[in-house]
Amino acid sequence: MTFDFFLFMLVNGLTQGMLLFIIASGLTLVFGVLRVINFAHGSLYMIGAFLAFSLSTLLPSGSLFSFLLLLLLVPPAVALIGAILEITLFRRIYRAHHLIQLLLTYALVLILEDAARLIWGGDIRNVARPEILAGSVKFLGLFLPTYNVFILIMGPLVTVGLWLVLYRTRTGNIIRAAVSHPEMVGALGVNVSRVMTGTFMLGCGLAGLGGVLMVGLANITLGIGMEKIIECFAVVVIGGLGSVGGALLGSLILGVGVAFMQLPLSRLAIVFPYIAMALILIIRPWGLFGRPER
Amino acid sequence: MKRARLRFFVVALIISTVVGMVYAENAVAADTIRIGWTADMPGIGATFYKSQKEAIELFIEKTNAAGGVLGKKIKLIIRDSKLKPDVGANMARELILDEKCDFLIGPTSSGVALAVTKVAKQYKKIVFFHTSNTEKLTTTDFQPYMFMVVPNTGIEGRGIAMFLSKKPYKRYCYIGPDYAYGHTQWNAFKENLKKLKPDVQILKAVWVKQGETNYTPYIPTLMAKNPEIIYSSLWGGALSSFIKQAKPYGLFKKASITSLYDLDMLRATGLDMPEGLLGYARCPFYAVNTLAMQVFTEEYHKKYHEWPSDWACMAYDGLLALTAAIRKAGTTESDSVVHALEGLRWNSLRGSRYIRAVDHQANVGIYVGYTAKDPRYKNFLILKNAVEVPAEKVWLSAKQVKELQPK
Repeated sequence: MTFDFFLFMLVNGLTQGMLLFIIASGLTLVFGVLRVINFAHGSLYMIGAFLAFSLSTLLPSGSLFSFLLLLLLVPPAVALIGAILEITLFRRIYRAHHLIQLLLTYALVLILEDAARLIWGGDIRNVARPEILAGSVKFLGLFLPTYNVFILIMGPLVTVGLWLVLYRTRTGNIIRAAVSHPEMVGALGVNVSRVMTGTFMLGCGLAGLGGVLMVGLANITLGIGMEKIIECFAVVVIGGLGSVGGALLGSLILGVGVAFMQLPLSRLAIVFPYIAMALILIIRPWGLFGRPER
Repeated sequence: MKRARLRFFVVALIISTVVGMVYAENAVAADTIRIGWTADMPGIGATFYKSQKEAIELFIEKTNAAGGVLGKKIKLIIRDSKLKPDVGANMARELILDEKCDFLIGPTSSGVALAVTKVAKQYKKIVFFHTSNTEKLTTTDFQPYMFMVVPNTGIEGRGIAMFLSKKPYKRYCYIGPDYAYGHTQWNAFKENLKKLKPDVQILKAVWVKQGETNYTPYIPTLMAKNPEIIYSSLWGGALSSFIKQAKPYGLFKKASITSLYDLDMLRATGLDMPEGLLGYARCPFYAVNTLAMQVFTEEYHKKYHEWPSDWACMAYDGLLALTAAIRKAGTTESDSVVHALEGLRWNSLRGSRYIRAVDHQANVGIYVGYTAKDPRYKNFLILKNAVEVPAEKVWLSAKQVKELQPK
């Protein structure tokens, strides 16, 4: 393996990993605070991608301005869908049995997927990359697609942003407190249910952001949500349920792992996420960064 | 007394209405030609289904407005075969037995088609295939009630090999899905090409895992080999994603990726499609210069506000052939229509075409051209100046077909 090739694969793996992290961080955040594994998280990601497509048809194709507008408008729109879901449905099942939660979120997957089928149909949808991100840049003698570089920059920005929100703001303090001691936070007079809605919206917004970023990499089809939620689960299990840092590590392990395996062992690459997940479950069931359940 | 009479009256009224309806139904049935369609509606079938349906409905609307066929109106009955062979077989049976369909038209999936053709044979009902195109339907799984108006996989594979062999290209790579379909396609293509042009260099075959959406890792391998043509059995969304991802690396500055460039794929890729790629299509409306195609395209566009996909054109062509044969036979009785169809010359959208008697394959070839922008179509590229590779040059000879067909 030459250095060029190694670098190429690394960049590609990191790109996939970063995108995965942006989506999975939402899933793990929601679980951390609400203790609900939201199966429908992948569907919200898919809806984000489709919304980006619909909006892009109204805007000039290939311009940077259009793309920035997508980045600004779609995640809040998905967050809004999240707010509606939280207030009408999720709120009622926080204390329910895991099985009930699973049933509800899985039912949501089916409803959202069929809604998407009704609205957008089964056609393949494509959003052109903004021209400024469509080319490639030269780096250490290697051509890298500008769009991948853009995602490599976006990933750490989201990480830092999330970290700042969680560790440097009052809201973040409350969210983190709500994770570890919900009763105590409530007793101190904080409106816990508003914190929960907010966290759920943030999680869904991240899924929406992932959806917008995804359109520059591949086509949008109805199956992308299902595909992504499985990868997200693997990431969250590897990193530890509820841990954002764990999700980052898990995403990068998965992204880079698959990238290096894809070529020599294409068939093994399909099962790699599952093997990694199974290994973690055997060795360290609470994940790399998680804590054992009390 | 009055009440008893009223009750009798009501009962009589109900009975007469019901009986009347049954009679009316039968009377209508005798006056219609019922066409049953096993359609693959879900998943990847959805896009195909939409345009096929639009074309079929347009055809029926026009034909019925002009007085129908043999004075009978056409009625379409659709069942969802769900891309599943067993479901397709059941639906075909239902269409024949419960819906009393006179003719069948086929699905999108070749797997479903192979199941449907068996049912059609069992009940001696004619089935037309307009999108599913495995060569098995005309050879090992041939049955006399089957007709095909789409270039089959043999015509397609040998056609593109023949076209390429006449060009100066020598360096070939391949990228395709790592399962039976991909391997079969590549092996057949390689063999054909080497036979036609012994000095080609086969450099590398790259196998993609099933359901892959990230093609980036395969790109350096392909670039390192410096091919002129990358032959591929990726199609539709997968092909579109591959092109989108490979474009920034400059892969297409030197090489072409050659595969099925159907209208849906060209539309989906839009202006992300590089110019100058060599591709083929089964029935591109823009490449067929006939009056019939022009009229159809205009009517279709007027009604649905989009251009007809390859699948739409071929579904329409199938019905043109079927109705021409019914008129020629003067009846809807299966065996007489089969007789009329064998060797039938009909005015298709693709000009005057015929159906070969030995395997019931229409003489339709693939269209090959290079992607280019066209002022008429703002949002997608087309295969500019595409030419047809005549089916007669590449289909199996009557002798070869007979050897393969069941005795």
